[in-house]
Amino acid sequence: MNIAAVKKLIINSLNPDFNSGDVSSRLEEEGISYNFSQNFTENVLSRLFPAGLTLNREIEFAKYMNFAFYRVALTGVAAIVLLLISIFIMEGSLSLNSFLGLSDSYAESIVCLLTGN
Amino acid sequence: MSILCSMTSESYNLTTEEELVRASLTGDKKAFGEIVNRYQKMVARTVKSMLGDTIFTEDIGQEVFIKLFFSLSEFRGEAKLSTYIQKIAVNLTLNEIKRRKRFFTMFSQKANNEMHEFEIADHDTEKRNEASELVNKALMEMDYKFRIIVTMRMLQGYSTKETAEILDLPLGTVLSRLSRAQEQLRNILAKL
Repeated sequence: MNIAAVKKLIINSLNPDFNSGDVSSRLEEEGISYNFSQNFTENVLSRLFPAGLTLNREIEFAKYMNFAFYRVALTGVAAIVLLLISIFIMEGSLSLNSFLGLSDSYAESIVCLLTGN
Repeated sequence: MSILCSMTSESYNLTTEEELVRASLTGDKKAFGEIVNRYQKMVARTVKSMLGDTIFTEDIGQEVFIKLFFSLSEFRGEAKLSTYIQKIAVNLTLNEIKRRKRFFTMFSQKANNEMHEFEIADHDTEKRNEASELVNKALMEMDYKFRIIVTMRMLQGYSTKETAEILDLPLGTVLSRLSRAQEQLRNILAKL
């Protein structure tokens, strides 16, 4: 097809009643085609599914779990220290009896408390 | 990755659009790869004929499929998948044209001329034949509102009604733009 024929085809393809279905294939035969690079599909997929994504998620999960554990552990330790200080202030010592709340109780009172006699 | 692509074409050659969409929604990489393989040429026709063979057109093409991937859940199958993809391609391409216009307007008073020079100068270096050069030059000379109509009719082979549906324009507007596009194209081609 010469250039004049290509021009005529292009202009005619814009007539509202013209069946332009096969124009693109005829133009393609004349070398008028549009393509992306050969790696196009791979490039799209690599942008959508980065290689280490699953691995990264697992690593991030472990990291957040560690972080959560440290937060809980530190809070627990702080609570225990506060408890020890308050016991020391209230009981005046850190003996086992103080811990159990029995520092000023006599053995008879405990037996009485436990048995009811 | 090339192994993946050959697997893609073998495994999904006969799969229907609906099955591919459903599989893609579950994160099936091969299924979505097959969608990209099937429709990349159609997207290339829209994007490259509208923007010219600039270094950015491949990126816009990729954006089309990325946007498609994230909006697949909204695809209800009422229209063809190709129409849905075409709409995304048209929207992103028109956005890019507007963005470029804004960019050139910011730096130059002669926005249109500068933009046209940018499009022509950035053509890729592959050798094109005379007919291809002619069509590309003519398209780049056209107003983008007419260029999109020409692309839909001439390169994609859509009917006037389908063009109106894709561009989200009333049929009357498409018919009037088609007639004006034909007139403009005739004038441009007479000079080339």
